[in-house]
Amino acid sequence: MTFSGELLAFMSLALVAIAGGVLLLNLNKVVHMVIALVFTFVSIAGIFILLSAEFLASVQILIYSGAITIIMLFGIMLTRHSETNVPKTGRLRKLLLFLGILGFGFAFYIGIYNLDFGQEAADLHVNNTEQIGIALYSKYIIPFELTSVLLLATLVGAIILAKSDDKKEAEKE
Amino acid sequence: MVEELLHSQAGILNFGIFFLLAVVLLFVILGFVTYAILAERKVMGFMQLRQGPNQVGGRWGLLQTVADVLKLLLKEDTIPKLADKPLFIIAPVIAFAPSFIVMAAIPFTDKFQFADLGVGLLYYVAISGLTTIGMLTGGWASNNKYALLGGMRAAAQMISYEIPLVMSVIGIVLLTGSLNLNDIVAAQENVWYIVLQPVAFIIFLIASVAELNRVPFDLPEAENELVAGFHVEYSGFRWAMFMLAEYVYIFAMASLTTVLFLGGWHPLFSFLGFIPGAVWFALKFMCVFFLLLWFRSTFPRIRADKLMEFAWKILLPIALANIFLTAIIKEILNLF
Repeated sequence: MTFSGELLAFMSLALVAIAGGVLLLNLNKVVHMVIALVFTFVSIAGIFILLSAEFLASVQILIYSGAITIIMLFGIMLTRHSETNVPKTGRLRKLLLFLGILGFGFAFYIGIYNLDFGQEAADLHVNNTEQIGIALYSKYIIPFELTSVLLLATLVGAIILAKSDDKKEAEKE
Repeated sequence: MVEELLHSQAGILNFGIFFLLAVVLLFVILGFVTYAILAERKVMGFMQLRQGPNQVGGRWGLLQTVADVLKLLLKEDTIPKLADKPLFIIAPVIAFAPSFIVMAAIPFTDKFQFADLGVGLLYYVAISGLTTIGMLTGGWASNNKYALLGGMRAAAQMISYEIPLVMSVIGIVLLTGSLNLNDIVAAQENVWYIVLQPVAFIIFLIASVAELNRVPFDLPEAENELVAGFHVEYSGFRWAMFMLAEYVYIFAMASLTTVLFLGGWHPLFSFLGFIPGAVWFALKFMCVFFLLLWFRSTFPRIRADKLMEFAWKILLPIALANIFLTAIIKEILNLF
């Protein structure tokens, strides 16, 4: 393996992503956790760019770091929450957890070590967005439409929930 | 030049070149911000029948902003006792960094640009959304109810107006067939998109003013309701970071408007082609910037509930109708 800019970029992005994930688990305050999560999301978008998936990277930042994080922050900031630490767990549980992690790591190592994707596609970066669009609207049109119906149903549901709340409050008054 | 650099080997020399280019761009932008603030105060002064700054640095007050920045640097850096310290410190950084990152994708002329991204337009929208997180964190970390309210308003407003902003440019993407900002400029060689997409231009302009948190959409910083909004507790250089982010976004948004609707570096008429593209870009850019200043000194602030209604019930349906119409017309023209 030669030392190249790509490797350097991958290493730093992976480091930030993992550090963000670890911080997410270890920080005490919920808002801090969300900010750590933002760093993970952004560095994963960076890794997408290294894989020449520019469109996916932009959407990752737009949806995950932009919209979802802000909705989470809104939820956290506008509701009361107790900032108590989780009680410490017993030694046996820690041991079992460690064994579980070892097993998971081993399974993944075996899975990845001899993985063969066949020949690598070299022209993925050419007209990336256009290719995604064509695939989405020709080959995967039915799943795409179903997703949009699902989202529409969610939207209608959210509006109905918000409306009925208003009425109840008015009746109380 | 940058294209070749991007494909070269990683090394200390190339790192140095990139670093130097970024620093040069940073200084250009800092210079712009310095005089943008002065221009804003002068233009507003003249529109309100007063002088504006005219003491420091000669009759035109040319050193006024420099003196102001110096004052900010020397000011005591206060952090409230009950503030969430790590977040309070990191929030201005989160707010400022994306504003500089988006500059990489904007093509100023056909030669002077940093990254020729395939998804340039989407990149701009995505990265600029990150600043909202900085504002929201800053407002929350200050542990002050006015700051929190300001942060909440900023987040709600920026998320709501991002949607009409993106929807309005989809018409352009349809006509160009690309998200690449270079392709968009190239497609405007004969006719600018402001002529082909006038509705989109108006929606984009309104939504961009709202995204910039400027009058008439400056609710996150409404002085007479919230003291100063999400940055009430900030002082000195941390406050300056927030202000800097705001003005860098004005720079970026005015550039983007020029690229999307005013034909980028293309001349107004083809016989004026001997004037360099950079001059054309600067002229158009300044027109957009002046428009923003004009808005600021002439419009009253919009009410909070009207603000959301305006985005969701007026701008969004019009933007959707515009996309629909553009698609139909494009298909009809393709038939012949």
